Amino acid sequence: MRKKIIAFFSSLRLTITLLIIIAAASILGTVIPQQQGAQGVFRTLSPELRELFESLQLFDLYHSIWFIILMSLLSVNLIACSAKRLPTAWKLSRKIPSLETDKPFQDLPPEHIITVDENPHGLIGKLEPLLRGRFKRVKKKDTEQGAVFYGEKGAYSRFGVYITHASILVVIAGAIWGSLLGFDAYVNLAEGESTNAVNLIRQNGIKQLDFTVRCDSFSISYYDNGMPKEYRSQLSFLKDNTVIFQGPLLVNHPITINEIRFYQASYGTIPADQVYLTIRKGNGETLSMTARQKDPFFLNDKDARVEVVRIEENFMSMGPAVLLEIISPEGSRSFWVFKYIEKIMERFPGILDKVPKFNPGLFRPYHFGLDRIESRYYTGLQISKDPGVYTVAVGAFLVIIGFFITFFSAHRRLWIRVDEQGEKSRISISATSNKDPVGLKREVEHLMKHISSLRE
Amino acid sequence: MVLNTTILSWVTFIYFGSATLYLFRMVTGKEFWGPPASYIALFGLLAQSVGLVLRWIESYKMGIGHAPFSNLYESLIFFSWTIVLLYLIIEWRIKSRNLGAFVMPFAFIAIAYASFSPNVSSRIQPLIPALQSNWLITHVITCFFGYAAFAIACGLALMYLIKGLGRTEGSRAFFKLLPNRDILDELSYHSVVIGFIFITLGIITGSVWAYSAWGSYWSWDPKETWSLITWLIYAAMLHSRLIRGWRGKRMAIMSIIGFASVLFTYFGVNLLPGLHSYL
Repeated sequence: MRKKIIAFFSSLRLTITLLIIIAAASILGTVIPQQQGAQGVFRTLSPELRELFESLQLFDLYHSIWFIILMSLLSVNLIACSAKRLPTAWKLSRKIPSLETDKPFQDLPPEHIITVDENPHGLIGKLEPLLRGRFKRVKKKDTEQGAVFYGEKGAYSRFGVYITHASILVVIAGAIWGSLLGFDAYVNLAEGESTNAVNLIRQNGIKQLDFTVRCDSFSISYYDNGMPKEYRSQLSFLKDNTVIFQGPLLVNHPITINEIRFYQASYGTIPADQVYLTIRKGNGETLSMTARQKDPFFLNDKDARVEVVRIEENFMSMGPAVLLEIISPEGSRSFWVFKYIEKIMERFPGILDKVPKFNPGLFRPYHFGLDRIESRYYTGLQISKDPGVYTVAVGAFLVIIGFFITFFSAHRRLWIRVDEQGEKSRISISATSNKDPVGLKREVEHLMKHISSLRE
Repeated sequence: MVLNTTILSWVTFIYFGSATLYLFRMVTGKEFWGPPASYIALFGLLAQSVGLVLRWIESYKMGIGHAPFSNLYESLIFFSWTIVLLYLIIEWRIKSRNLGAFVMPFAFIAIAYASFSPNVSSRIQPLIPALQSNWLITHVITCFFGYAAFAIACGLALMYLIKGLGRTEGSRAFFKLLPNRDILDELSYHSVVIGFIFITLGIITGSVWAYSAWGSYWSWDPKETWSLITWLIYAAMLHSRLIRGWRGKRMAIMSIIGFASVLFTYFGVNLLPGLHSYL
């Protein structure tokens, strides 16, 4: 029974099955919207389906229990496979075969036997340093007719695959470590505001920081074609009311404070509630007004009550505008006041006749102008702490090292026998490799060329 | 039209010419067509390199200097460039032109799509803040060499399967010209290994970048996830070959499935919402 269980967990069949299932599950996760994105789909599902999706955690698939079980099974499988095969690999890499004089040279192809115009004694003397230069471990045994050499190199190549597998486990361990001890949070901070509490993303709670972050200002700059060029938050970090760090936060340039990293994630504007109006009377007299939404003011000479009903940052793509409602004995009127009314009239001649609601002079004899809308930006910060990231980085680096050893090195073993043949020597070469037969062939050809040129 | 895009759209015709000659060589069985095919491909590669460099310089002149890897047009151009470069290296190393007829069309299709699809804008655009990173170049180069190696492996797999058809049809010259199946299988495996290493490097460089741009080295963004899916498919393929000793037809089919996943990672993901959606 125990043997069966071990065999199951260390089987390649399990590896391939898991790789395919994890791939399929991942595909599912890219098709079904995840986490915050899921709400839209959620509403369209029938109650039964909702329950099914919820119970299978399909809306947070990559963190669901069954996905974690799959990953754990893969880890167990990796460990079991390696534990099963590693001892053999270790033996194979250490073992030096006894220097047999016949067995390796049976059934050699004719091109692996050459004759060199030099007596065995002289040749062996030259051959030994040549082999020692080219191979890591070299053994020699004298025979009646000459000598037998054994050389090998690249024994470490047998471990490449275990380095890769162990490194993948290191990556997984780092990821788990990070998710247990780290956190991801966000906070939106209006210009001028500060906080020391941030909203956790996955755990749905509040995380208290032991320092305060303040957004001093936020700005966006644009390229000539209107694409965003830079989002910049000027941040101050305070502890006990003293600034411990101050600096700009840009996309791709996070700020790290006490191992907690701050990222420029998003931004937005806080709906404006204060507008600056210019009001021109019939007699040419103008006055500037500051008005708040839903906070009416009065034009006494006409007994009119003016209220800012709506404030739009960019109304119908024509820039800032406010909707005024004026109630007077003449009745009630409402119309839009645009900031860039001259430009709009230039672009759309006759617009005021077609759309009287856009006419800022609709309430005669007054003429309204919009100077500006006061709105503030807020910056959206992402706050993360991940103590596992170094482990993951080391693991990833070792994966690549493991790849290079696995794919680009080979454990090559070579046997050479030198036999006396009159005044000449006959040389037989036999070689094996755990992989890359083409490279081995090239190496043997190279070596034979060198050996043939050993005579004076 | 700007000089660099003019050059690049001419390269489309050059690659078309080269691909046609490789096909000619394959169908007629005459080596006569081979050298011109190779030299035209090499000429195209050089012209394309010049076009890319000019585009790079041009972006600096516009004051928005960046490597030409920042939108679909540029990535397609670079994709075809990596395919041709890798292909010519392989041709030179194995001293055989047989793969050309199956690989050059991929390069041609990629650059033709970039140059002539109305949906692909060839304008040089500035970098949005998320792309303003030193990792852009390393990430794109490693990913695209991976894609190109997988494209070549897919071409080899197709050759393998077509060669298989020839066994029943007697001795048509066409099938004889295709390389021996063992060689195709071996080459396809080597291409997959190269692709696997590059895609792994691509995922790692992408993670490092994501760690400084998005706050996490892995956030299950669809493109990330699809690159992982691709990685898993090729990992399964390599394991079944190295341990189970699967060869031939099964490998060819897995190679084609793997490349389909590569294509989805590259293009299909744009249909899904996510952080990579600017490409």
